[in-house]
Amino acid sequence: MSYLFPFPPLTFSPHLTRTLIALWGLQILWLAWHFEPEARDLVSRIAQGDVGAAIRQADPLYRWAGALSALIPPGASYVFLDNYEAGKEIEVRYYLAPRRHLLLPPDAVAPYLFYVLHQEQASFLLIREGDQPLGPGARAAVQSQAVQELSLPGPGKAYRVDHRRLRWGFYD
Amino acid sequence: MIEAVVSLLRLLGGLGAVILLGYALLALLLPQPRDFRALERLSLAFGAGVVLLTLWMLALTWRGHPFSLTLILGPLLALSAALLLTPRGRRAISQDLQALRTPRRLNLTGWDWLFAGLLIVMLLYAFLRAALYPMWAWDAIATWGCKARVFYATQGLDLTCIDAHNYYPNLLPLLLSYFYFCLGQVNDHLVQGIFPLWGALLLALLYSLARRLSLSRRQALGLTAFLALNGTVFVVHLYIAYADLPLAYFTLGAAGLLYLWLADQAPRGSLALTGLFLAGMAWCKYEGPPLAATVLLAASLTLIWLRPPGLWRRLLSLSLPLTGLLLGYLPWRLFVSQQHLPIGADHLQGFYPHQFVLAISYLAAALIQPYYFGLLWPAVLLAAIVAGRRLWTSPALFLALFIGGNLLAVILAYGVAPTSAAEFPSYVRATLDRLLLHLTPTAALLLALGLKELYPTPKSPTTP
Repeated sequence: MSYLFPFPPLTFSPHLTRTLIALWGLQILWLAWHFEPEARDLVSRIAQGDVGAAIRQADPLYRWAGALSALIPPGASYVFLDNYEAGKEIEVRYYLAPRRHLLLPPDAVAPYLFYVLHQEQASFLLIREGDQPLGPGARAAVQSQAVQELSLPGPGKAYRVDHRRLRWGFYD
Repeated sequence: MIEAVVSLLRLLGGLGAVILLGYALLALLLPQPRDFRALERLSLAFGAGVVLLTLWMLALTWRGHPFSLTLILGPLLALSAALLLTPRGRRAISQDLQALRTPRRLNLTGWDWLFAGLLIVMLLYAFLRAALYPMWAWDAIATWGCKARVFYATQGLDLTCIDAHNYYPNLLPLLLSYFYFCLGQVNDHLVQGIFPLWGALLLALLYSLARRLSLSRRQALGLTAFLALNGTVFVVHLYIAYADLPLAYFTLGAAGLLYLWLADQAPRGSLALTGLFLAGMAWCKYEGPPLAATVLLAASLTLIWLRPPGLWRRLLSLSLPLTGLLLGYLPWRLFVSQQHLPIGADHLQGFYPHQFVLAISYLAAALIQPYYFGLLWPAVLLAAIVAGRRLWTSPALFLALFIGGNLLAVILAYGVAPTSAAEFPSYVRATLDRLLLHLTPTAALLLALGLKELYPTPKSPTTP
């Protein structure tokens, strides 16, 4: 079968092996430099005892989700208005699991938002960016009789929804 | 403080139970378990235990039994006890106890200490980084960890409340939820500690396989450290709770054992173990079944090419690992079909030539970029060159076919990926390192063969 690979095995000089090992040594030094900020953070957290669940407690989004989890029953559904790309929606979904999570964009129009709230029997409407102006759907929902704002500290806004009072159709 | 210690003990207890299940399964599958070194068996037992435990959890939920620690562990521990009470099981235990009474001295010298020290420092860092920080990485939060929380809270595979790639296999979420049952609560930072352990077991397996390929202890330790400390991808996957590290581990086990079998160096029972690891691959990640199929395809092609004596018998023997693959694949597929879970068709919408061409350059760059895997892939290429024509005339062909074939498959997969031109670079950036991670430990075996060519040891090793 040598005709398929007509080259004899190469012989590597010890210099090449040494060069490879030296390069690897440099690579390890680079790795140490690369992970140094993380390692420093780790050491300082261990020294302060700020580890594990305490790290999450420093996050306002987590505290808000914690307050919500006390309000939303585990079998309930909620609509969450947020941009998927922000990467925050998955965090809230994670904290609130196993509650049923329905993601819609913040600028969802009223017919679609009302349809989802009604059809999926959602009991809560959550908006992550509470300091931003409401989108058209959320504005219409807030003005309806079916939605009641909850007073919870945190970065977002939360509303209790009576989905039976919503009739999804053309609200525009 | 006391609560943390109790939680750690409960986690270790759960871990010990998984290893015990695997230990009992090995006693059943292997005529002579001590043909495998202690370190090797520890690694293999964990993988075997994980596959058995999570498939059992799938069976429980299928039959409508809500999860509880008693129901998850009780029958399996009873089965393990029964297996260990058989003559073969009793022999394995008595031999291991005897070996424990006469511990072997390690006798490490300069370079050995350096390599071992590097590995220990890296694993210690990874363990602290994993176990002291909450779960945070994207896929961990969005998919694996989220499902684990749901499975724990609903005491079953309830996928009605989430939409997180529900058709993905569930070995990892079920394992994480099992540990939550052991802890009696969701403690995602402590449970993340199993990932550096999994990485350590992967490294132990690589070390053991390298020793079986006749590398000296120093060479094998150096090779293991070379895999672990090259680029950032392997290190990061030790603490981000993704399924890619487990898939890399199962792939290394399946491909490594099958290589030994092809090279007539495998201990008895290796094919059955290969089947178990192929099952782990198929049940671990969506990419697992095709990857597992390529392990068997590469082995079949190698046999057909090399035409060893008893070719047809050997080809037929591959039906045993194939059965393992099906055991890992079919239960979940049947469950998906029974529950009418929608299946994603992410990669089946068309062929995009410009993406295919771009993917070649992205792949080449990722293989040589120090950031991803350091010098490892260039060294693998050098090893293939060193092997020369032996690559075509020996079972090393299996490894070359598996690695080369899958690199080609990665390019093809990007050629059919339905992304926009603007999104394609970020899509590749987010996935390519993980696809390569699945192959990298197995590629290190090719490097081991290159080392063996360059620096042959006088005789096969018999001590770890």
